[in-house]
Formats: sequence, C-alpha cells, structure tokens
Amino acid sequence: MAPILLRSVLVLVLIFLYLPLGVMAVMAFNQSPLYAMPMVFDTIWFERLAGNERLVGAGLNSLAIALANTAIATALGTMAALAFQRYRFRGATLLQILLLPPITIPWLIIGTAMLVLFFWTGIGRGLHAILLGHVALSLPYVIVVVGARLRSFGVTLEEAAATLGAGPWTTFRRVTLPVIAPGVVAAALFAFAVSFDQFVISYFLAPPGVSTLPVEIYSAIRKGFTPEINAISTVIILVSMGLMLAVARFYRFGGER
Amino acid sequence: MSAVEVHETVKRYGAVAALDRVTLRVAEGEFFGLLGPSGSGKTTLLRAIAGFVMPESGEIRIDGQRIETVPVHKRGIGMVFQNYALFPHLSVFDNIAFGLQVRGIAKAEITERVAEALRLVRLSGLEERRPRQLSGGQQQRVALARALVTRPKVLLLDEPLGALDKRLRQEMQVELKQIQRTVGITTLFVTHDQEEALTLCDRIAILSEGRLMQIGPPAQVYEHPQSRFAAEFLGEANLFCGSVERGAAAGGKVRTTAGVAVESALPPPDGEAILAVRPEKIQLVDPAKDAPARANRVEGRILRSIYSGSSIAYRIEIPGQELTVFEQNRAAAPRDAGAAVTLFWAPEHSIWVTP
Amino acid sequence: MASPSNIVQGMSGSGGRGRAGASAISRASLAPFYLLGPAYLWLLLTIFLPLSAMLLFSFLSVAPFGGREAEFTFRHYAAFMDKEFYRTLTWRSLKLGLDVTFWCMVIGYPAALALARHVPGRWREALFLLIVLPFWSNALVRIFSWTMVLRGGGLIDQSVQVLWPEAPSLGILFSYPAIVVGLVHSFLPYMILTCYLSLQAIETSLEEAALSLGASPLTVFRRVTLPLSLPGLLVGVVLIFVPVIGSFMEPRILGGPEGIMLGTVIEDQFTVVFNWPLGAALSFILLAIVLLLMAIAAPVLGRPLAAATGR
Repeated sequence: MAPILLRSVLVLVLIFLYLPLGVMAVMAFNQSPLYAMPMVFDTIWFERLAGNERLVGAGLNSLAIALANTAIATALGTMAALAFQRYRFRGATLLQILLLPPITIPWLIIGTAMLVLFFWTGIGRGLHAILLGHVALSLPYVIVVVGARLRSFGVTLEEAAATLGAGPWTTFRRVTLPVIAPGVVAAALFAFAVSFDQFVISYFLAPPGVSTLPVEIYSAIRKGFTPEINAISTVIILVSMGLMLAVARFYRFGGER
Repeated sequence: MSAVEVHETVKRYGAVAALDRVTLRVAEGEFFGLLGPSGSGKTTLLRAIAGFVMPESGEIRIDGQRIETVPVHKRGIGMVFQNYALFPHLSVFDNIAFGLQVRGIAKAEITERVAEALRLVRLSGLEERRPRQLSGGQQQRVALARALVTRPKVLLLDEPLGALDKRLRQEMQVELKQIQRTVGITTLFVTHDQEEALTLCDRIAILSEGRLMQIGPPAQVYEHPQSRFAAEFLGEANLFCGSVERGAAAGGKVRTTAGVAVESALPPPDGEAILAVRPEKIQLVDPAKDAPARANRVEGRILRSIYSGSSIAYRIEIPGQELTVFEQNRAAAPRDAGAAVTLFWAPEHSIWVTP
Repeated sequence: MASPSNIVQGMSGSGGRGRAGASAISRASLAPFYLLGPAYLWLLLTIFLPLSAMLLFSFLSVAPFGGREAEFTFRHYAAFMDKEFYRTLTWRSLKLGLDVTFWCMVIGYPAALALARHVPGRWREALFLLIVLPFWSNALVRIFSWTMVLRGGGLIDQSVQVLWPEAPSLGILFSYPAIVVGLVHSFLPYMILTCYLSLQAIETSLEEAALSLGASPLTVFRRVTLPLSLPGLLVGVVLIFVPVIGSFMEPRILGGPEGIMLGTVIEDQFTVVFNWPLGAALSFILLAIVLLLMAIAAPVLGRPLAAATGR
C-alpha cells in the first residue's frame, strides 16, 4: 500500500518536472506565434532563430565565456584541490569555509556586489567582468569535485611512484593527473554548465548592447515573448541536459576507470 | 657493512612516541621481519626508511650512506604496499616499466628487463592486462616485480600478503621467499602475523609501543623470549609469577602465591622475573602414571578442550591459575572436561622473562 | 579503545598516513599557498571585495560617480525600519521562502523515500539522474516554460476547454501561486537530492534490526529512518529557503504585478531606479537574514561540505 503511494508520488514528480519543458519544446514547433491549437508543425521558429543576429551573437558570447570559464576554473580549482588534499597547513579549514559564500549567498547579492565594485574600481561591466564572476561561482564546485576524486585515491599511488624514483612533477604528470582525470573532466563539464546557464551575475554585469544568451532571453521575455524564445530555450535545455548526462557518466563510472 | 642501519631513531606524534630510540642493523641480503601489534611502530619504521616519515632524531643509513635528507625518489628503494598501489590507468607492462621509464632507460632495455621481471614472478603473457583484471595474487606479484625491476638496494614490504586469503597467502609466502633468495636483495618485511614472520624471515625484530623488544632468528626469539610481551605476542605462553628463588645448581625457581613451584634449568636474571612455558612443551598424563624425574610436575583438572584438527588445546585449572596445553591429536577422543591430569615439562622449557 | 598506540596507528596507519606522509615530503614548504593563491585571489576580487564594497556603499548618501559627493549616512537602513513598505516586502519574500520550502519538503521527501527504498536498483540510478537533470539545466528557461502551461489560453486552459468549451480561463499566470509553482519546480530536485543521499547513507541493516526487534514498518520509519535522514532534509530546507528569498527573476516572469518581492525591488534599484546605495542596503539586509539562517544551520550544513572537501 505505502510503496504504491510513494511510487506514484515519484511518477507525479517526474511529470511535474518534465511537463512544462515538454510543452515548451512542442510549442517551438507550432506554426502559430500565438500558440494556437490545433497545432501545425513547422520549423519556422528555428529558421528565424538562425537569422536572429542578437540571439546568435549572445549565444556566441555565452559559449566563449563558458569555454574560458571552464579552462580557468578547472585549472585554478584543481590546483586548490591538490593543496587541500595533499598538504597539511594552517588555515586550511578557514579557507574551505570561505568556499561557502559563492555557493550559498543568493546570486542577486553577489551579482549586485560585483556590479558595485567593478563599476567603482574601473574594472567596469562587459564580457570580462561576466567571466570574472562566472569563475568565482565555478571554483567551489571544481574544488569539491576534484577534491573528492583526489581523496578517494589517497596518496598511496603517489607514494608508490616516489619509491620507484619519480620526482614530484613526474608523479603529478604520470600518476596523479591520469588517475584523477575523470574527476577533472566532470569538474570541467560542471564549470561549463554553471557558466552557460548563469543568468543573474551576467544580467548585472552586462552593459547595454552586450549580453549572453540568458540575459537576452530575459529581456525578450519581459518585452513579450515570441516562439523564437521557445526554440532557443529548447536548444539550451537539450545542450545543458546532454552536458549533465556526460558529467554523470564521468563522475559515476569514473571510479572504476 | 650493514645494508640498512637504523640508529637511535625517534619519531613522535604529539606526546606519543611511534619510534622510541630504535636501533637495528640489517645485513646484506637478509630477510628481516618487523613484527608487532597495531600501533607498535613497525609501519612507521618502514616508512621512515622509505622516506615518508621524517624522524626527529637518530640516523638511518642505506649502504652506509645517511639518507635522512634524501627525498623518497632518490633513495633507491623498492616498496610493495599493503594494497599493492598498482597504477589503475596503466597496463601491467607500464606499471612495471614505470620505475625504468622515469630513470630514462632505453626502450629496448626496458622491454627486456620487464620481461625478465615478469618471468621472475611467473606472470609472462599478462603484459597488456589492467590491474583490475588481475586476481589478488597476480596483483601482488606485479607489485613485487615493479619494486624489483629497478634493482633497488633495499626491498620494503608493508604487509604485502595482508589482503590475500589464507591459502593464497601461504603459497605466496613460499614464492616470496624463493624470489628473495634468487634476487638476493636485502628485504625489510612488516607484518603483524607471527606465523608469517617465523616462516619467512632470517631474523625478526619485535616492536611494542615504539620500542624494540627483541631481535634474533625466529627460533631463538620463539624459544627464548626475553620479555613477557615477546613471549605472549609470539605464540602463546603460560606464565608463573611469584617469588624467585635461586637454585643450588645453575637454575632457579618460582614459587607462586598458590604454592606451585616451577623450576627452570636457567639461572634467574637480576631483578624481577617470571617464568614462561610454551603450551606445546607441557605433556599431559593420567594422575596414576609417573612423570620423568627432574621434570616440573603439577596436578590439574581439565576445564575445557578446543578441538582444532591436528591438535587439541586444553584449558587446565591448577592451584591458583589456569594453563593452556597443546596436545597432538593422537588419542581416539579428546580428554573429558573435569578429568584430573598430571602436567609435566622439562626445566629447560621454563624460560625467564622480564615482566 | 582510544589507547595511545591506537592513536599512533591512526596517524601512521592507513587512515591518516597520507597526510602525514605527504606533509613530511613537503614540510615547511610554501607549495600549498602557491597552489591556492590564484583561486583565492580570484575569490577575493570577485566575492569578498565586492561584498565589502557593497557594505560601504550601503552607508553612502548617493553613488559616488560622475563627480557627485557622497556622505556617510544610515538613511537607507533607517528607511527600511521606518517604511511599512519594506517590512511588508521582506515578509512577502520570507513567506515565499516558507511556502516554496514547505511544498518542496512535502513532495520531495516522499519522492526521495520512494526512490531510495521502493525502486529496484537498476531503475534507481536512471530515475535519480532524471530528477537531478533539470536542476542543472537553465533556470531561466525552466521558469519561462511554465508561462506556456499557466497562461490564460495555455495548456491547462486548452485541456479543460476540450471537455468544456465554455469554461472560464483557469490561467494563473501572474499570480502568487504561479510564482510558488515555478520555484517549487526549480528547487524540488535539490530537496530530493539531499534527502535521497541521506536516506541512501542509512544502512538497511539498521532498519532490519528494528524490524527484528518487533517494530512495525511505520514505527521503524518514525524511530529510525526519519531521524537518521533528518540532516538531509534540513540541508535541503536551507539550500532552498536561502535562494528563494533572494529570487527576483522568477517572481518577475511568473508573478507580473503580483511578483513584487525584496529581490525585485533590489533589482530595480540597480537596473531601473539607479539608487545603488539603497539597493546595497537592501541587499545587506537580505544577506543578514541569510547569514543568520546559515549560522543556525551551520552545524548541519558544515558536515556535508567538510566531507566533500576533506576535513
């Protein structure tokens, strides 16, 4: 009795989670801009999308920032994770607590605070400022994900490499890095997703005329939406979900690799 | 010259001494065992020799050279870890070749030496396997081959057989010994398994709470433990505590508070001492029968027996204490609980130990 | 038994040996600080300095740009205290947080329980992934998708009108319930995730032991499962409540005129009204509420993070 009830909750939850996404995706193929029924299948909105320079430009900005963010956050985060997992030093606990604010303070506060400081100091707004913000948000995730992988392997393999005559750098290159590679890849995909989906920070740091995809979509929604937004949103959802499926693969099955 | 020399080495963790002024010498080609319970410092000592633990004071030498300041990767050691620490991302071949590659040895020579190492551990043909495709015993051999292929000065083994089941463990013991003999490499072997230490090692050192209790060949340490700890840790021992009396001849005797007098053929040491007797040295006879002359003789009653196939362990009550006696399983049936027996053993088998 | 020898083994044995060994190699070395330097300098510039700058800003009379002279003032904080409007606003945001968290709890915990206990193994991983997946897709797009469903003449209306063509519109877009639905949709996976992880961590032998001692399944749940999974539930509550009270995009899109919250007012100060000092002060009041909540929840929150980062 109880199991059946619980299982139906689970089914309803899945319907609840995917229903609006499904509706949105289907409506992207509706010829009528007013979402009129019965539906007439058409790919016109995807074609319009390809010709929409603002959206395409914003999409390219999003992509460029996400890629740069991935490279920077993965490198800096992996270095920090190594420090936490392989060295004992004063202040380590405090430094780890300092990773909490970027994850837990509402983005609205962080975003407006960055706006204030960047505007004030002359760093200004723009893609560079957005990148600065995205890396800050991605770093804690990279440190946690790579750190978990480093910890699960312990130091025995590195010790073994040392007894075999490998110096610290050789050990890192030939043992540590290959072994934690799945964790690093997962962290990189995470960082990409964090940046590609990030709206709030980008919104406050984007000057007029420059925007990322989510910022462009937000202003389009506020102006009154069009099915083009459905089309681009459908693309975004598919990209992010595909990305997270890749993360799941690396993160879960990485252990036995 | 000793291959490995540890002199007055001290390592503390907080207030606890993991190594308390440990001094020992391991001879060239010797198979040397470090034996002790958990926390005795045996692993710390091995890791200090490897370079993973920095001693606070004392000297460690390999081949006569002080190595305290030499980093691990320049010490020229080979080590087999408890869980083998095989690189999961590398094949068997690359695992074994690793130490040669980082030394910049030519490819052709590497191929040759890896093949030779694989022959030594009888794993030829498995070059391309990944570690997780190997059985526990095979992984163990790869780890051994990997440690030996660089021709290290010393081989350090950190409970290398601990993860294997009993049968495989016994097989590997024989093989390990054989390989060590073939290669002739100086070997330090950490274990908490006393039987393994007795079987494998040329000499063993017993450690307790960071201190060296006794060093010697297995038979000597087993037959003549110097301390109560050594007697009880290595095998089992029946202990007789009480007043020590110096005998008329060379020997001495202990009289327990319950009035049991136990003689030893050996002179008692100065200071406090107790007598230890191994359970298998005691013989059991029916009370009616006579014991040989000169033997220690005690009357007792069987409390219970523990059957273990080839032998039977009896727990026997004598005045003031209980004793354990092992008897070969020769009779048709074990002795009954409650039966009265006479225990006797030669005074040579009563060993003086420090309390 | 915590004898001294055990402590030594703990340090030299398998558990702590790594750190002891690694630190021995690199004793007194600056390596960890070189490794950490870039990441923490980055965080300093993008998180900690901005927060400090904003605190300073919230005490200025006007934004000190374009040659304007700013004076030190408590005016913005005083405004918050004096004006009924801001208190109502804060209460609205808190109430939104409570409502969303409540529904996430009521729906999320049973779903997590079903997933952890009543779904066979091979399905469990796939379902878990399906539930978590939307969480990592674009939040803005997911909120937007609800406008398709909730608007007058949207999916709900059209489904109803198929059966009853004359039915009045049920569209609830631009209402408080619409905001709640959208936010629950956004954060429900978080609750299921944290509850599921803590339920998974409970050894089934504990529940079996309780059953073997004569407890009914309901008692087992009440006395064993629920108390042991409570930390996960609590982590979920905090991790949902905090972002919800700081939300502005969701109320804006789904709430329309009904969507005025503390978050949207702060947004306006920075993007429409350009009263940055007031926006900063309101942000800091929001931050104070968040920090207070985190301080209360710190003992529970600290553990999962510590586990993940290795302390």
